[in-house]
Amino acid sequence: MNRALSLDAVGVRFNGSRILDSVDVEIARGEWLGIIGPNGAGKTTLLRAITGAVEFEGSIEISGTRTSAMKRRDLARSVALVPQHPVLPSGMRVVDYVLLGRTPHVHAVTGPSIHDLDVVAAILDALTLTAFMERDVTTLSGGELQRAVIARALAQESPILLLDEPTTALDVGKQQEVLELVDQLRRDRTLTVVSAMHDLTIAAQFPDRLVMLAQGEVVAEGDGRKVLDPALIRTHYSANVKILDDGSGGIVVVPLRSHQPINDSKN
Amino acid sequence: MTGEEIRPSRLHWWWLVVASAALVSAGLVAILLGAVDLDARAVILSIADRIPFVDVDSGLNNRQEAILWELRMPRVVLGGVVGAMLAVAGGSYQGSFRNPLADPYLLGAAAGAGLGATIAFAYGSGLPSGPIDTLPLLAFIGGVGGVAATYAIGYSVKAGRTPVTLILAGVAVAAFLTAVQTYLQQRNAETLREVYGWILGRLSTVGWGEVWLVLPYVIVSTVVILLGARRLDVLSVGDDEAVTLGVDPSRVRLVMVLAATLGTAAVVAVSGLIGFVGIIVPHAVRIVFGSSYRVVLPLSVLFGATFLILADLLARTVASPAEIPIGVVTAFVGAPFFALVLRSSRGLGS
Repeated sequence: MNRALSLDAVGVRFNGSRILDSVDVEIARGEWLGIIGPNGAGKTTLLRAITGAVEFEGSIEISGTRTSAMKRRDLARSVALVPQHPVLPSGMRVVDYVLLGRTPHVHAVTGPSIHDLDVVAAILDALTLTAFMERDVTTLSGGELQRAVIARALAQESPILLLDEPTTALDVGKQQEVLELVDQLRRDRTLTVVSAMHDLTIAAQFPDRLVMLAQGEVVAEGDGRKVLDPALIRTHYSANVKILDDGSGGIVVVPLRSHQPINDSKN
Repeated sequence: MTGEEIRPSRLHWWWLVVASAALVSAGLVAILLGAVDLDARAVILSIADRIPFVDVDSGLNNRQEAILWELRMPRVVLGGVVGAMLAVAGGSYQGSFRNPLADPYLLGAAAGAGLGATIAFAYGSGLPSGPIDTLPLLAFIGGVGGVAATYAIGYSVKAGRTPVTLILAGVAVAAFLTAVQTYLQQRNAETLREVYGWILGRLSTVGWGEVWLVLPYVIVSTVVILLGARRLDVLSVGDDEAVTLGVDPSRVRLVMVLAATLGTAAVVAVSGLIGFVGIIVPHAVRIVFGSSYRVVLPLSVLFGATFLILADLLARTVASPAEIPIGVVTAFVGAPFFALVLRSSRGLGS
């Protein structure tokens, strides 16, 4: 396997409690790995460990190099993150926001080169953000904003793209639009994608492979049909779901109510 | 689309020209006006006469020359230096803490300098004198010490340390130092008037001593802050995201706060606690010219200098021959302005 990213016995503690516990995951170049799991399972922490934002035990390697031995700038050239709740500086225009993604390439004093601006221009084009580039980032709608945040991450030109629940705040149409865009970019740019995901049907349909985390540990790993198992989901999510065929080879996960509601209209 | 078609925020050269012109005009007006008005043409000739290899007769008599070069000029230059430093330090603090209400006195610099000044007024005559006067020396040590204590406490917090932790540590340090200062002031009531005057700020100076004393600190601090402008723009998306962009937020914050504190402590040592400059100047620049720190910080240097020179002009002319404390003028102009900033800002801390 041509490994882009490998996690070996990765653990994270915070205030004495374990958030992640000996997580082993390998991700191939160009693969899309989905990370699912109930709230508090450690999905976001796993992504933050990969970016170097939290201290961890064990080792994380990118193309064979330990991230702990990499300089911050080099790590930022290798991994880009689309956060779940991006901080939006009021008064910052979209073009400046996307240009921030060039930070790991730009000299801190002399500023961006014409190449940096070319990269940003091409990304604004690719993500149909040209019309919005003069707008204040705080005035964008949910779908526009998510494209701007993805554009900033792409401007880093990092081969690995991490997405933290990229579609949570979007309507169903925008969810599909954003995820199709990610898939398209992955193919065009041979990106390796790791995404924490909330919606299990979406997790079944977009990533190549899934990892289920629960209480900081990997409890299942494999393709959608294997990981999205009603018994597993009942155990770790305390949810009652049914897995259905979508009619074209994929599956959908449908939540079901466990009990019939008590009909008290008789009284 | 190519890179030539996008227009990222940048500092336009003509903004610098406009700001520099405003500064020079304010400086000239402030030099001409005062208890004794000087003739503009004569002043310009006298300045030209000081340029090497230029020899002209200004027509000013010895007394006027003395007023110009030993009273007016050093005071205007000091006002410019202090205003520039306070404004750029304020911008640096606001960027470092992502807090529009941050000012250079935030982390205990003012309380520490106040304590130092109170000690100097109360016990200064009993202390051994060195090459630098006791008052600026103790005010400087107090200001730097206050921020150092804040950092020591902020850094002792192990888990969940955020910029807010540091601000809260600053609140604790400022409250403690102010309590000590108030106690000393009560014990030495005869110095009350002097301490009070110092806290309101003043630029009354004779000669160039203060200017040469603070200028090295101001130059070094300002250069460091200006070089960090791009880093502050990265910090505006939050610490976590700054890390993913390859920037170490704690290090940026430490350098920017250190530079701002050194410069602030130096100017406070000679000018007292002049308030509001560090808040209103960067905000005004932000509203007019844009929010990138690559724009805000350089223009704050120029407009901060302009603002304080004009404030000092008001302070010494409005009630002439008496002087109004300059802190009263900056607050009198600054407070209403600040209310407007609050009205127009779309929520704080964002």
